[in-house]
Amino acid sequence: MRRTVLSAMTLACTAVLATTVPAFADDATTPAPRRTPAASVSPVPSKAPARTPGAAAQAPREEPAKKRDRGQVAVVPKGAPNTGVTEESSASSGNEGALIGGGAAVLAAGGAAVLVVRRRRATGA
Amino acid sequence: MTPFSRRAFATAAMASLLAGCGGHPARQTTAAPRSGRRPPPTGVKPARPLGRSVPVGLRIPAIGVDTPVIRLGLAPDGSVAVPPVTAHDRAGWYRHSPTPGQLGPSVILGHVTVGGYGDGVFRHLTRLRRGDRVEARLENGTAAQFDVSAVRTVAKADFPADEVYGNVDRPELRLITCGGPRSGDGYLDNVIVFAALTSAGP
Repeated sequence: MRRTVLSAMTLACTAVLATTVPAFADDATTPAPRRTPAASVSPVPSKAPARTPGAAAQAPREEPAKKRDRGQVAVVPKGAPNTGVTEESSASSGNEGALIGGGAAVLAAGGAAVLVVRRRRATGA
Repeated sequence: MTPFSRRAFATAAMASLLAGCGGHPARQTTAAPRSGRRPPPTGVKPARPLGRSVPVGLRIPAIGVDTPVIRLGLAPDGSVAVPPVTAHDRAGWYRHSPTPGQLGPSVILGHVTVGGYGDGVFRHLTRLRRGDRVEARLENGTAAQFDVSAVRTVAKADFPADEVYGNVDRPELRLITCGGPRSGDGYLDNVIVFAALTSAGP
């Protein structure tokens, strides 16, 4: 009987741990595929000769206000803007993961219940 | 190991496998069919550049936009910051770009959707057509008038940073939002409107 309880607890813990995996995975992902400025060099008709690929490869950093007063973009941001929040992502950070994780937990709980019943029948309890 | 233990391990392994499979939403990174054309040369006659004055409002009559404009900087990861997700969505001007009317590409961003709040301020940006008018109200009381020269939808993975942020020899405007197919937590594309200054006035 003790072994049965321990096994059921193992299953429950596994299910709980497994459901946390999707949450971590969602936190770790970036909102959009990003690209470094170095990879974004492409022929642009309107580009001024002062912009060189080497300059584009540098990481964005703050520049003095003097440069801003002359116009043009002082700091080129990395990657693409993430200007859209879907309803799914705002409702929950890991809706899909939570759904499947919950499904796995239910499955695990069901399996544990079946095992307990079979174990009891086998031992005649 | 008893048959019972084997069954327990097998069940646990299966549960882990199922949960693990669901943890990574399939994010589509391949290029879907997109309208990746370059902005055509504009027939807009260039206007004289304006002095520096921060934008405080944006009006796009063709799609019913009339919004305050906030200032945006950089996010910690080096990407451009975006306006906060709120019920009253606003556009945001990237403060490391020229102010509207200054020489160079002034960049204004807005959400296409703001989650449960519904449509964002740039929800219908794709409906803009060449020649549509965009008006940026400036802090000094004047307004810079721009004409749309091109509307492009591009994959985020192929975001044309040089065309958006690169130097230009006249005052221009970039309006940016998201678009295209939805992924788990956002959109796969960006919609970019290119516009050029035509006039300025009170």
